[in-house]
Amino acid sequence: MRDRTLFVLILAGVILLVILNLPEPVSGRLKGFVRDAVAPLQELVVAISRQGQETIKLARGVSQLMSENQRQAGEIARLRLRLNELENLEDETLKLRHLLEFHNRVPRQLIAGTVLGRDASGWWQTLRLDKGANDGVHADMAVTTPEGLIGRVISATARTCDVLLISDPKCKISAIVSRSQAFGIVTGNGVTAQGQPVCRMEFINVDRRHPVQNGDDVVTSGLGGVFPKDLQVGRLENVKVNDSGLYAEADVVIAADLGALDYVFVVVGLSLGAPPAASPAAEAGTP
Amino acid sequence: MTLLVMLLGLLTGAALQALLPAWPWLGGAQPPILLALVLFYAFAHNRGWMLLCALLAGLLQDALGQVPLGFSCFCFGLAGFAALRYRDDVEEHAWLAQMVFGGLAAAAVNLLLYILLHHADVVVVSFTLALRKTIGAALLGAVLTPLTFRVVISLERQLGERPATHKEAGS
Repeated sequence: MRDRTLFVLILAGVILLVILNLPEPVSGRLKGFVRDAVAPLQELVVAISRQGQETIKLARGVSQLMSENQRQAGEIARLRLRLNELENLEDETLKLRHLLEFHNRVPRQLIAGTVLGRDASGWWQTLRLDKGANDGVHADMAVTTPEGLIGRVISATARTCDVLLISDPKCKISAIVSRSQAFGIVTGNGVTAQGQPVCRMEFINVDRRHPVQNGDDVVTSGLGGVFPKDLQVGRLENVKVNDSGLYAEADVVIAADLGALDYVFVVVGLSLGAPPAASPAAEAGTP
Repeated sequence: MTLLVMLLGLLTGAALQALLPAWPWLGGAQPPILLALVLFYAFAHNRGWMLLCALLAGLLQDALGQVPLGFSCFCFGLAGFAALRYRDDVEEHAWLAQMVFGGLAAAAVNLLLYILLHHADVVVVSFTLALRKTIGAALLGAVLTPLTFRVVISLERQLGERPATHKEAGS
């Protein structure tokens, strides 16, 4: 019995050592395999979750109608229920139209993706999307929403990809202030205790004739080869300039709501890691 | 059948862990469902099942996040061995004991993972945030561990794995 226990412990130790020392390509392939295997289940769970949310919305509507029924005739109740459904549909339609308008407005090729989940360990500010290499998504592609930039793809398997959010301290963006064209680097600064994702922007050699101010819009500069030019990042707050006036830093209030992302767009074709042409699976945008 | 229930639990737990929101006031800690499953197999089954569960749960957690492969296996394995060591104590006063052990294990795993990730220089997180995340993980672990136990026990019972007369872990 003691020998068997010892054998199990040694076996577990050996397996753990092998896993910990796997070469990077093998480790990456293994991770990708597990991710792709779990992806359909994640899609199912997300679909069930969204369906559940819709059902709760409808149930709330029905509950309100029941109290109305005590005062009003059945016909009014029926019409209200119908109205409730139509309002839900209208909300959904407006949301989709908003996304479609953005898709058609942006002069870049975009791939629409659904958010499957966030980093399971909770140590990184990342998202997982349901689009991968099979759809033309590769590492170092920018990811955006109609409101603004949200991050970049850091890895892609055949069916999924991981997006590093701009609030992660490892994410750095070359950006400019729209009004003054002041150049700086935006770095993720995590999430506050109130749940607000934050970034910091550092300026070197600020042009004194065009100082940066609170409320200035920040957009991507297009330098660096990952983020396309002129994507909205956010706006400046708490601008601090040092005594020499050459160095400044500020908080950046992120334009996109990183806490409530359902659908996002991967920008194709402008990143260093991207192939020259989009795959057939990529959704066509306005050239 | 035990393997089937374990795989079902692990896959569903992993998908839920990635989907459920992480509250900022808890430091963004994810609900430790996979760890709760490892603790369950440590309390209710033998060492072999616990090790298998720790290995698979760790692989899933690392594959579904940015953690280097194997880190979570190591942390879950240690938590599982600690659970094995105290399993007889935890069977008494079940709910409370499970809550306390779940909370402590989640905090310990979170802290150990932070130390490993920080040492490997793969994560940029301040110690304050790591501490807040650890406290958050402890709270979530305390709430989710007894719940996970109940769900898996009832699943095992439904599939005939666990007879009604069998003395259940934590019942």
